[in-house]
Amino acid sequence: MEPRSRTSPRSSPPAPAEVVLAARGITKSYEIGERRLEILHGVDLELHAGELLALVGSSGAGKSTLLHCLGLLDRPDRGTVELLGVSGWDVPLVERARVRNAQVGFVFQFYHLLPELTALENVLLPAMIGESRLTFTGKKKEHRERGAALLERFGLAERMTHRPSQLSGGERQRVAMARALYLDPPLLLADEPTGNLDSATGAAVLELLLEEQRRRRLSMILVTHDEKIAQKCERVVSMKDGRIVGGG
Amino acid sequence: MYRSFLSWRYLVSRPTNLIGICGILVGVGALILILSIMTGFLEESRRTVRGTLSDVIVNPLQGESANGRTISAHPGELLTALRADERVAAATAQLAWAGVITQRDDPEMFQRILADQNNSQLLGAQIVGIDVRGLERLAQPAFAALARSMGGFWPAQPIQDELDASAFLYSLQGDEPGEPWTVAAPNPLFPFASLKSAGSARPKAGVLIGEQLFNQLRMRVGQELELGTVVWDPARDDWQMNNRKFVITGTFRTRDNETDNGRIYLDRRELADFLGQSRRYTQVLVSLKDYERDGARFTLDMRKELAERGLIAAGEDHFGGRQEVRTWEEFRGNLLGAIENERVLMGIMLSLVLVVAGFTIFAILSMMVTEKRRDVGILSALGATPRGIQQLFLMIAFWDALVGGVLGAVIGTWGALEIDAIERWLSRTFGVQIFDRKVYLFDHIPSVVQPLWVGTIVLGAFVCALLFAAIPAWRAARLDPLEALRYE
Repeated sequence: MEPRSRTSPRSSPPAPAEVVLAARGITKSYEIGERRLEILHGVDLELHAGELLALVGSSGAGKSTLLHCLGLLDRPDRGTVELLGVSGWDVPLVERARVRNAQVGFVFQFYHLLPELTALENVLLPAMIGESRLTFTGKKKEHRERGAALLERFGLAERMTHRPSQLSGGERQRVAMARALYLDPPLLLADEPTGNLDSATGAAVLELLLEEQRRRRLSMILVTHDEKIAQKCERVVSMKDGRIVGGG
Repeated sequence: MYRSFLSWRYLVSRPTNLIGICGILVGVGALILILSIMTGFLEESRRTVRGTLSDVIVNPLQGESANGRTISAHPGELLTALRADERVAAATAQLAWAGVITQRDDPEMFQRILADQNNSQLLGAQIVGIDVRGLERLAQPAFAALARSMGGFWPAQPIQDELDASAFLYSLQGDEPGEPWTVAAPNPLFPFASLKSAGSARPKAGVLIGEQLFNQLRMRVGQELELGTVVWDPARDDWQMNNRKFVITGTFRTRDNETDNGRIYLDRRELADFLGQSRRYTQVLVSLKDYERDGARFTLDMRKELAERGLIAAGEDHFGGRQEVRTWEEFRGNLLGAIENERVLMGIMLSLVLVVAGFTIFAILSMMVTEKRRDVGILSALGATPRGIQQLFLMIAFWDALVGGVLGAVIGTWGALEIDAIERWLSRTFGVQIFDRKVYLFDHIPSVVQPLWVGTIVLGAFVCALLFAAIPAWRAARLDPLEALRYE
């Protein structure tokens, strides 16, 4: 893939694709003591089907906060987030949780695996949450086979029954990626997925992630402050002081 | 799906959860064990306390005025009225009077009695005169045989005493067939028949004496026993001391300490004679066909009916406001009430063990919610709802209660069923007698396991565990997923 400038959009815009994610006028502030800290100031952003977007900016620019608002984890003070045409923050809580489960995959910097579960169980967790006991039990064999195949693709065939504490950082992140991709969501949000890995491991993990994105035609937002990583993305959106300053 | 799976995984991966499970186990097990033993004690005591009491006891205030007439000193009319009720199986008169063992002719025994400072009540005895119609009963088969030989038929005539002779004696024996409890088994048909009355113009009447009293006074069958009492002498307008010698014809054992240590049975007519005919009966004992069904209703009906007919005084008597017609349970209400109270108190005290277990679960879960903040954030990000997270933590308490409750129920029930063997093993192993059979007059630790109680206790454990888990679970559900994710 051709690396793109972080400030300039594509030279030749692709054919109009379905908008997977549309955020309009997102503002967010936090109260810290007696003071109110404005983090996001009316952010607008669109993400199309199969698009890979890098969200860059210095620390404190509001990248992670925006990602959490887009992923329906953190409610913005104002503004809307539409995911496949559904206004995520206007639907009831249970429906929002269902959307988060089925439509959004998260990959975190610190992996966030459940330490009590094996690698395979961690991968199957979204299905356990999304399906009823009866459905999951009925499809248990199928789930196990699918989960195992995914881990195998990620080079973890021998590590399926290992707990996170028995895995290396790179292995943990690959398990976290498999978990995020297990239900085949249309949107993947990755918050500095290589930020906690050494450069070699980070590069390998990123390569795997980007390959999956291409293969699945995933819409993906990748938060990073690594220029080299951003260059690998189709579009780079730059943030500063809670505003989009380039690429939006 | 994830709630049960993850809660079980959390449970087994944290040894601290064992404390909660053990707490529930101990609480449930102890409650079942102790309540089973207390229920056993209650039932055994009900049998023992009841002793020779019939279903209903009628104590008319003789000489008092009732509904325009004086209550008779003869039981005849009262017996006829009671026997006319179709719910009554049998009714008999009884004469109970207080007396003392004097034994002036036996200085050695008399001194022993007087010198027994610790057991001075030995001097006192409750003398009870009963009707045992041995002759009539003996005559029944004879009349039937005679009628048959003459080609006729002699229907069995109901003898409407409370108990026939053999039934009465059996009731004194308790329900331990094959247990050689009697020092001297009395003649079942003629228990008061005097064996000998050498050197006396009038044959001395026979008495049956409680086994403990008999043994403590080192008596023997056939020995004379002198009893003394006071009776009202209307001619002298004063109390008069009466003494008379009787012959011991046998012993009895009711397993009630008080009865076996201080009661003497004899023929009612003999006792009335001893009392100078000043009293012919003190109460009428009634046996019902179905006490459990009719007891309470019959008692209420009789209070009204007998009062209307002037056979008992209406309303309450002088003794603590009690009625003249009472069921045996009302008669021994204080003692049974005390055991029942003890059972309830034990239940309440042991329920505190469950409350402590509940607090343990509360503490462990609160700690776990703090520890698992990050997991709560991850689950939220993966699509879990706050309600699902609340249920996840409630399910940990559910597993605590399930594992602890079921194990506790099994161990408690097993302990209650095998309490005798356990007690013997403990006594043998540690050389300390835990259950003194002499004190309780039971040869075993009574225990009755009631499945309803077991179910209720296990259910109580569930309610307790879930109640105490509710606050930490609610707290987990209210965690902000983002804050939780930042928690490292």
